[in-house]
Amino acid sequence: MSQVMIETEGLCKHWGGLKALDDISLTFADKELHSIVGPNGAGKSTLLNLLCGTYKPTSGRILHKNEPIDSIKPYAFARRGIGRSFQKTNIYPSATCLENCAIAAQRYMGGSFNFLKPRNKEPVLLHIAEEALHKVGLGHRKDTVAAAVSYGEQRQLEIAMVLATSPCVLLLDEPMAGMGHEESALIIELLKQLKKEYCIVLVEHDMDAVFELSDLITVMVNGQHLVTGTVDAVREDPRVKEAYLGQGDEVY
Amino acid sequence: MLFQKRSERLFIWIFFPLMLMMPLFLDGNIFYINKLSSILIFALFVMSLDYLVGRCGLITLGHAMFYGLGGYIFYIIAPQNEAVNFWVYTFYICVISAAIALIVGFLVLRTSGIYMIMITLAIAQMFFYYFSDSMEFGGIDGVFLYLKPETSFLGIKMFDLDNPTHFYYLCLFSLFNTLVFFKVIMASKFGRVVDATRENPERTTALGYNVFVFRLASYVIASALGAYAGYLFSMQYGFVNPSMLSWQTSGTALVMLILGGMGSIYGAILGTFAYEGLHYFFEHLTEHWMLFMGSAIILMVILLKKGIAGYIEKLLEKRS
Repeated sequence: MSQVMIETEGLCKHWGGLKALDDISLTFADKELHSIVGPNGAGKSTLLNLLCGTYKPTSGRILHKNEPIDSIKPYAFARRGIGRSFQKTNIYPSATCLENCAIAAQRYMGGSFNFLKPRNKEPVLLHIAEEALHKVGLGHRKDTVAAAVSYGEQRQLEIAMVLATSPCVLLLDEPMAGMGHEESALIIELLKQLKKEYCIVLVEHDMDAVFELSDLITVMVNGQHLVTGTVDAVREDPRVKEAYLGQGDEVY
Repeated sequence: MLFQKRSERLFIWIFFPLMLMMPLFLDGNIFYINKLSSILIFALFVMSLDYLVGRCGLITLGHAMFYGLGGYIFYIIAPQNEAVNFWVYTFYICVISAAIALIVGFLVLRTSGIYMIMITLAIAQMFFYYFSDSMEFGGIDGVFLYLKPETSFLGIKMFDLDNPTHFYYLCLFSLFNTLVFFKVIMASKFGRVVDATRENPERTTALGYNVFVFRLASYVIASALGAYAGYLFSMQYGFVNPSMLSWQTSGTALVMLILGGMGSIYGAILGTFAYEGLHYFFEHLTEHWMLFMGSAIILMVILLKKGIAGYIEKLLEKRS
């Protein structure tokens, strides 16, 4: 197994009396795609929100490259290279696609307190932003206002923005939610490429995609960790079948 | 190009040459020149508010606090019997008010939306009552500034502030510079992050920006310029009084801003002139001018959703 990028130790998140997450200990390795699945309300998004610093854990620790990061500020997570995409499309709708990525890229390129330098006169930064757009197949949309592109393209843009921050860990919250079949296929292809370079944590409901992409799958139920294993191991696990797949013919 | 929109360029090409020639038309009519100067000063103030409200998404009802502070700081730091240098004191006033804005902003910017409106109002009212209750600042009557600053720079006397026409040009020059200044920082890399923090602060944090710091910087810049406007105002008639920092002043500025079109910066000038124009018109028509004024503003806000600037933009778009 390659280097561990993120590790959680006994991570808990309580909302009042509700245990949204209960004692989760997981490791996420570099250059692997680790999926987190589970029925609605299993705590997948909560886990992701803890990993990227949006929420503070009630107890437990998060380690990034063996350093505890649970007490740092939310924006500092992104500076360490932990980039996330959102379940609900979360972009800058009035800016162009290129500008969306340029905002992302400017964080580590620096100069955000440069009051004089015109924002559109920095070829290196714009090149990085453009490259991120090309990676997700949005190169032709760079000058279109983000609100005007299709929903699927906004989802792609969402990922492009994360890539433009030059991350080492990608936390993807349902990148395929609400996408058509062809668009999903595009994202699956993209993720296959990306997992060669990054540590990816994927929360996704599309089980075909999850089985196709994952190196490891973690199944969660009611805020608790059920099982972690390879695709085949999880598929055969009777507990998973009972808790998640076996409740009927319905696929979540 | 700095002024990207056609409406913006059109406005600048019409407005500034017209204003430059205005003293020729008015032919030394001091009343109107003074009136225009004070409108230009207030437009500068509204412009600084537009940057905060329209560009940074920080709605404040306490911006007049800095307008008044500009005048009071000038009164406090300038010696009584000696004409001070205009440029040096401009620098002092901007720095001191920026320092105050840094402290106030540090408290205020922890909140947002309606809470921010309330807390800015509360802090502004604290300053208002401090100055209106204090004996040494003349209470509600305010204080007089007997001497106007002299304006020599590197030994060259540039203009005479006692001369209304000279003062008028100083105001016009300041307004133009402020407009260019805001356009430059809005187009800069800093401006990119400010736009991002307005449009989607959550995402901006997720991208690794400390949103608070960018808001604070913007707040300090806008406040310092608001204080500069107050400094000019206090110089014009040679007095400072607490009504400058009352919430009515903040409210009026917000109305002008909404009339002109939020976020467009040059709309602040349009809004101020439209408001003052309506005011002047109704005041001479009837004693109950406020009734008509209010109705006119309500109508304009309903009809022109994006203010006058937005309306002009739409007209030009249709034609092209």
